[in-house]
Amino acid sequence: MNALARRAAGLLLGTLCLPFAALAADPQPTHEFILDHGLKVVVREDHRAPVVVSQIWYKVGSSYETPGQTGLSHALEHMMFKGSAKIGPGEASRILRDLGAEENAFTSDDYTAYYQVLARDRLPVALELEADRLASLRLPADEFSREIEVIKEERRLRTDDQPNAKAFELFRAMAYPASGYHTPTIGWMADLERMKVEELRHWYESWYAPNNATLVVVGDVTADEVKGLAQKYFGAIPKRAVPPAKLPLELAEPGLRQLTLHVRTQLPSLIYGFNVPSLATTKDPRPVNALRLISALLDGGYSARMPARLERGQELVAGASSGYNAFTRGDSLFMISATPNVQKQKTLADVEKGIWQLLDELKTTPPTAEELERVRAQVIAGLVYDRDSISSQATTIGQLETVGLSWKLIDSELDELKRVTPQDIQDAARTYFTRERLSVAHVLPEESAHE
Amino acid sequence: MSDRSAPRYTLFGLGIIVLVVALALVLARPARSDNATKVESAGVRPANTLQSLAELDGKAPSRRQLNIQSWNTAEGARVLFVEARELPMFDLRVTFAAGSSQDGDVPGLATLTNAMLNEGVAGKDVTAIAQGFEGLGADFGNGSYRDMAVATLRSLSTPDKREPALKLFAEVVGKPTFPEDALKRIKNQLLAGFEYEKQNPGKIAGKTLFNQLYGNHPYAHSSDGSAESVPGITLAQLRAFHAKAYTAGNAVIALVGDLSRAEAEAIAAQVSGALPKGPALAKPAEPAEPKPGLTHIDFPSKQTHLMLAELGIDRQDPDWPALSLGNQILGGGAFGTRLMSEVREKRGLTYGVYSVFSPMQVRGPFMINLQTRAELSEGTLKLVQDILAEYLKNGPTQQELDDAKRELAGSFPLSNASNSSIVGQLGAIGFYNLPLTWLEDFMQQSQDLTVEQVKAAMSKHLAADRLVIVTVGPTVKQKPLPPPTDKPAEQPLGVPEH
Repeated sequence: MNALARRAAGLLLGTLCLPFAALAADPQPTHEFILDHGLKVVVREDHRAPVVVSQIWYKVGSSYETPGQTGLSHALEHMMFKGSAKIGPGEASRILRDLGAEENAFTSDDYTAYYQVLARDRLPVALELEADRLASLRLPADEFSREIEVIKEERRLRTDDQPNAKAFELFRAMAYPASGYHTPTIGWMADLERMKVEELRHWYESWYAPNNATLVVVGDVTADEVKGLAQKYFGAIPKRAVPPAKLPLELAEPGLRQLTLHVRTQLPSLIYGFNVPSLATTKDPRPVNALRLISALLDGGYSARMPARLERGQELVAGASSGYNAFTRGDSLFMISATPNVQKQKTLADVEKGIWQLLDELKTTPPTAEELERVRAQVIAGLVYDRDSISSQATTIGQLETVGLSWKLIDSELDELKRVTPQDIQDAARTYFTRERLSVAHVLPEESAHE
Repeated sequence: MSDRSAPRYTLFGLGIIVLVVALALVLARPARSDNATKVESAGVRPANTLQSLAELDGKAPSRRQLNIQSWNTAEGARVLFVEARELPMFDLRVTFAAGSSQDGDVPGLATLTNAMLNEGVAGKDVTAIAQGFEGLGADFGNGSYRDMAVATLRSLSTPDKREPALKLFAEVVGKPTFPEDALKRIKNQLLAGFEYEKQNPGKIAGKTLFNQLYGNHPYAHSSDGSAESVPGITLAQLRAFHAKAYTAGNAVIALVGDLSRAEAEAIAAQVSGALPKGPALAKPAEPAEPKPGLTHIDFPSKQTHLMLAELGIDRQDPDWPALSLGNQILGGGAFGTRLMSEVREKRGLTYGVYSVFSPMQVRGPFMINLQTRAELSEGTLKLVQDILAEYLKNGPTQQELDDAKRELAGSFPLSNASNSSIVGQLGAIGFYNLPLTWLEDFMQQSQDLTVEQVKAAMSKHLAADRLVIVTVGPTVKQKPLPPPTDKPAEQPLGVPEH
């Protein structure tokens, strides 16, 4: 049960959670500097164990892609493991494996990132390998011809054979009518089928420049140490002009959109998404922070409103969740999803009614001080808990920097949330929870198609 | 270190939705990037073009030193404690031998009991309990697997947070009231979860595999029980199970964090004292050898899921270091294993292929799993079987073994870098009754192994013709596999010996 509660709290805290001066624990020194060619480096010291995580974040992802070329960022991520000037295909992974490192990469709509976690004395190897593939990726055609098959398998595994993932992909395409967030990160299958290695080369040459990247190192290191290494391995890579990157802006009120899907599932479910700004696109952070608090009030724990009322009180849903990512480069969505409690003969219509009751209540009735205090307590504790993982610290820093915000935002996290008043919450609910901003998907079992 | 064969998919009825929202945040989860053993490679270069690699001194890296302290509570619970003062927080993990292998003839009983712990205590309903933890910023967690059931608490260590959080935790674990309405609701959620699983070919394959592998043994059934078994479970059964399985004598208490020894002792005594009195439960019986063979389940997916398994070992088996290292080379890591190299790298047949030994209280499974496009599934299955057969026949090469040892030594510092990883390790050491020096012993034993010893252990415990195989996917006309890349194998750049 409570895995749920923790996860829900994570929606609030997960993307944004480093503690600094405000907390009881000694602050961990964090340093930033920019090399001459524009590579930004953030170093955060954590000396609890002789280990270190290195992450490099590129400002490119699926929201940068154009129709017909979807999936390029993710495919390029795969090909970054296929050799550069100093090493052959797959060899970097082999070297890192022999050193006992964990490594991988991830692609999203806003970024592509690569990481290594390893014993502190091995950090230079990680940086040299990372610099080499930034400077001199090989992109062999024969490797690409096999790797694109792997990517198609990945798509089948994660999307095509997962009815709910497939539904969500189509939902996003509808909910983002204007911006590149329309595009699934893995790419449409038709585009994977016709992708050429030359397109990847072009993509690589366009975006993989030191001045379009952020290097984040967290662990048992000092700023001077990292500065020396970064200069040594990355220093000679030339600065390059990158294409202008326009923020993925959305229509404020695109109108009510509805989608009915019949997929291979036994249970119906419902997806709601309201078009809302993010911290990067809003002029005033207050309504955005109010939306973050609303998400926590609805689903920030097992005592929050959705589990307490929809799941338990009214027994309307087998499960429900809300989520809002305020840390995107462009405009965002406030998401709600739910599965009706079919054992109690509840329908999607019942669930929609229940959800609107919660949303309308937010518009008319301020939350109690006690409820807000509970959310705050979770935020404060979450700031400490997050320090237990060097990787999650690095990810928070990298993500903030890459979506155009500063990692220093973390410092003011608590204050920003404290500044939100009950009136702000009501105002935000009234502004954003409207039919004009809403996309709805009804995801139904296939049998219903014949009823 | 946990019971990996039994992930907790209990409440996946809820999980679906969670997934949908999580996807909004990070759509493409870490794409597994690749690589290969004996990597084929374009162009041959002189070794050591990597300056940083040449400069490594070749010594095994240093690691965080753990001072594991251990004692028993008055009621007989084993306690393991590591003091970690750096962050003002602590982790408590209580593990009971109360997993689904103790279900008896009521599949799902252990899971339901565990899921009901935080649904009510004297004077508090489920929402009041949740408000209690969340108002303190504390995280309560629970979970139930085949061997074990766990309850966890993460809290700030300052007394005004710690003390009320622990008081509530002790009540929840030791004195749950099991309210009737909550039982009905959670049963419904489990039933929704079973419905949801029907759309997931991987889940179907996993459930079928355990059935085939374990027959009448208690490991055979899913920890969640089934749509047939769950509705009939009664409150009386839950209470009896709790009284028998959540006893102090059946518990291991692991603690890591910002606590003194005296504080840790007081916490352990408080938790232990709140539990029912009673002894440890007996381990399940040894499973019988399964009948080898293939079971196919027709399913309208694009990919076919392949699972291959045999009975492996229990956690006390002296061959565990050899099998662990042997498996690491075969398919135990994300990158550079034989399976990943042959199936993904050279042929592009799958996104991922993994093998694993899951040592449990009694013989846990050895499993290989992967997915591939349906029209290549038979050829891929044959390929995987051939790789396993060849490996069992000839064992690893000296180079592979040396590399694997180096990898293991290099990764050791990562294994105890965080409080959460340490508390997990303590829980496993305590639960499987391993010596406090277990981590060091395991490392030393692994470093001492020879090719012959690894080969002997692998072929002693596994046989290529004993596989129990389950495939789930559509029945389609099969195509031959594409030829592998024919690049010559190339040694990786020299990594310094140590």
